[in-house]
Amino acid sequence: MTRYLRLAILQLRISAASGMAYRADFLLGGAMALATMAMTLLPLLVVYNVVDQVEGWDAPSALVLMAYFLGLRAVLEGMISPSVIDLTERIRSGAFDYVLLKPVDAQLLVSTSRYEPWKIIDLVGAIGLVIYALAIRDKPVHAVDVGLGIVMFLSGVIAMYGLWIVCASLSFWVVRLDNLTFLLGSIFDVARWPVQMFPTAWRVIFTFVVPVALMTTYPAKAMLGELDARSAFATLAGSFVLLVIGRLVWRTAIRSYTSASS
Amino acid sequence: MIRARDLVKNFKVHKRPPGFASALRSLFHRTYETVKAVDGVSFTIERGERVGFLGPNGAGKTTTLKVLSGLLHPTSGEVTVEDHIPFKRQTAFLEKITLVMGQKSQLIWDLPPAETYALNRAVFAVPEAQYKATLGELTELLDLGPLMNKPARQLSLGERMKCELAAALLHRPTTLFLDEPTIGLDVAMQLAIRDFIRRYNQTHEATVILTSHYMDDVVALCPRIIVIDAGTLIHDGDLRGLIKAMDPDKRVSFTLANADDDLSKLGSILTRDGQRVTLRVSERELPGVVSHLLGPLAVGDLAIEDPPLEDILRQLFGQRAKEKESPA
Amino acid sequence: MSIGRAFRAMPTMLRVGVAETVAYRAEFLVWILTTTIPLVMLGLWNAVAAQGTFKGYSQADFTAYFLATLIVRNVAGSWVGWQVGEEIRMGTMSMRLLRPVHPFVALAASHAASIPFRCVVALPVAFILLISSGGSSLATEPLQLAMLAPALLMAWLITFAIMFAIGALAFFLTRAMGLFSLYFLLFMLLSGYLMPIDILPGPIRVVAEWLPFRYMVSFPVELMTKSMSTTAVLEQLALQVGWTIASIAIAMFVWRRGVRRFESVGG
Repeated sequence: MTRYLRLAILQLRISAASGMAYRADFLLGGAMALATMAMTLLPLLVVYNVVDQVEGWDAPSALVLMAYFLGLRAVLEGMISPSVIDLTERIRSGAFDYVLLKPVDAQLLVSTSRYEPWKIIDLVGAIGLVIYALAIRDKPVHAVDVGLGIVMFLSGVIAMYGLWIVCASLSFWVVRLDNLTFLLGSIFDVARWPVQMFPTAWRVIFTFVVPVALMTTYPAKAMLGELDARSAFATLAGSFVLLVIGRLVWRTAIRSYTSASS
Repeated sequence: MIRARDLVKNFKVHKRPPGFASALRSLFHRTYETVKAVDGVSFTIERGERVGFLGPNGAGKTTTLKVLSGLLHPTSGEVTVEDHIPFKRQTAFLEKITLVMGQKSQLIWDLPPAETYALNRAVFAVPEAQYKATLGELTELLDLGPLMNKPARQLSLGERMKCELAAALLHRPTTLFLDEPTIGLDVAMQLAIRDFIRRYNQTHEATVILTSHYMDDVVALCPRIIVIDAGTLIHDGDLRGLIKAMDPDKRVSFTLANADDDLSKLGSILTRDGQRVTLRVSERELPGVVSHLLGPLAVGDLAIEDPPLEDILRQLFGQRAKEKESPA
Repeated sequence: MSIGRAFRAMPTMLRVGVAETVAYRAEFLVWILTTTIPLVMLGLWNAVAAQGTFKGYSQADFTAYFLATLIVRNVAGSWVGWQVGEEIRMGTMSMRLLRPVHPFVALAASHAASIPFRCVVALPVAFILLISSGGSSLATEPLQLAMLAPALLMAWLITFAIMFAIGALAFFLTRAMGLFSLYFLLFMLLSGYLMPIDILPGPIRVVAEWLPFRYMVSFPVELMTKSMSTTAVLEQLALQVGWTIASIAIAMFVWRRGVRRFESVGG
């Protein structure tokens, strides 16, 4: 266990060192964070200037949801996508073989191989947005809701990670998958709207097939104090299931790789 | 100890002939064929041996190494390496072996090798004292000093190879699988690396399996040679044995004192370049020929050598190609 | 590097481009799947317009708009920026530089070869579009529909050229990925991808009408969904031609500068 922990910290240090080498990167990271937030909030601005609520979501609620989306995306682009890119490069160059030769679980090794440290700015921005949204809301804020909201955020991260592992495993079977991260991002983009906004068929898909609802809608509801216990439990269970599925798909991918690589 | 019994490894390969029509067809339906990369290979290698795998491209050498290191599941047959089953990839097994692939790099491209070393150290959980000692030893033997802190992409091929070797040996493995480690390197670097491998083998009693296209590497480093062609093992033994079996005649080279001396009774002439001559002489006749050369003919620069390994192998593989063409 | 040579090699390059597209069918599929943002946005705008028209757009209007955007994006989108950036980073761009055909032309050919395939994929969507909006939200002017093909082709060319230029920035910056994202954000906003340009807040809308992004997505979409006067169509088309030339010029400029730097600094 300590081996893994030390390893993750070491890889973070290495990524941070190479990422923080240039002050320009910091400025770029900050600029990106601001631009992304502005761009993501603009449709909301346009909409809520004219209407009061959409499918039961008023402006502060929509902001909270958007904040969860931005926060998750920060984690995706800061911790998950970089590793995916690294993995696909290694598979293509054949250097992935070296990963299998290390006495550390390949999935863990690969998941922590690269980071974009400046995405933390985006995360901070998202947290700020939540605080702002809760402040302009008319309802009181309870500590329980905030606590549950944080737990659900983490569960959303786990769900997203599980999905990522499934996608990353695909790169074993398909030799060239350059835009894998782009694919992930696109699927994930749906998470910016409350799942209630979609027609029934899509709602089902986004809850059970590509469970983005688990990642943003329900966690946001928790933070707003509107999530019942049963849904909370189901969301947590769903995230766990995704994690397990991810692991199984990964193992299958490795088994296939070690039978077929030449 | 490394043991392989009737090792077989087959691959499914997608077949697609060139041309537009078949390109379109392959969008919907792909045909596969089975390639037998390794077709029943058996050998036993004791601890501390240095063994060379030789064979033409696509013979199955790299595949065999990958099976031995656990990267590939064998299709059938048994393999054990130091009492482990490689494809199980147990921690204890992985800590004892290392695989170096000359054409693929494990160094992190944008960062100095020192960072890769730190990573490997964490991955293999090498205690600090041992790590320092090993790194010190490797730095000295491979002359790594100034290289460790430059980003890997800024190093030349030879410098990078040295750093790769160090990265691969930080955990002091006792079995080394080296797949074309000297490919693309200049002669001086090849010698340095050969030297290093021999030293490591002797100091740590490490088993070394080497594949290389450079015959010199194999001849200089490996007393035992395993020849693989088209997935089958066709020779396993020492170099001298192979040469004797294939071509027992010696090569005698010398410089004539007089350009038109008569050599007809000495043996068949292989090359004649002015006064420099190479003869092919059977071992039996060797003493007589040599004394005649040194005595009456008074030649200079006399050299007696085994036939070059390349010729032997070309002969060997040529023979097999002929056997394949005309089934007996 | 002769133009004549490039022309003569074009059929072969196109053919190989087809083979490449087919060989990497999964990547092709991924590309199709990634252009789903229009559907995502449609989710929001449909929900918004459920209460009545929003700034002149009914649900049917939004549906038609975003499905049209999906078609346009599928046909005119380009991933060449990633490809160029990576080839420069990996060093394989040097190989292209040694060939007697300009990399822009070579890449354009191989990417253009995938357009027929992408049109095939876009067809089902076009069908759904036709059926679902019942024609009420679609344009019917024959001139507009006739100009759709050239508009799409130019949209593709502009997108390709700009992406090519951004990819070429990899000659100057080691980490161009951040710029990609920034560019894509701007693109989404100003091209009509996130929402119809006429819904954008005033100042932003003005900016959008002066930049090339409009001609990468919004203009072909407008041709499909809005009825425009003949003068308007021809005017916009002319502007699109202008932007096509300008974006190719920009791409060439950035490229040439980049190659010069590359040659002096080394890969």
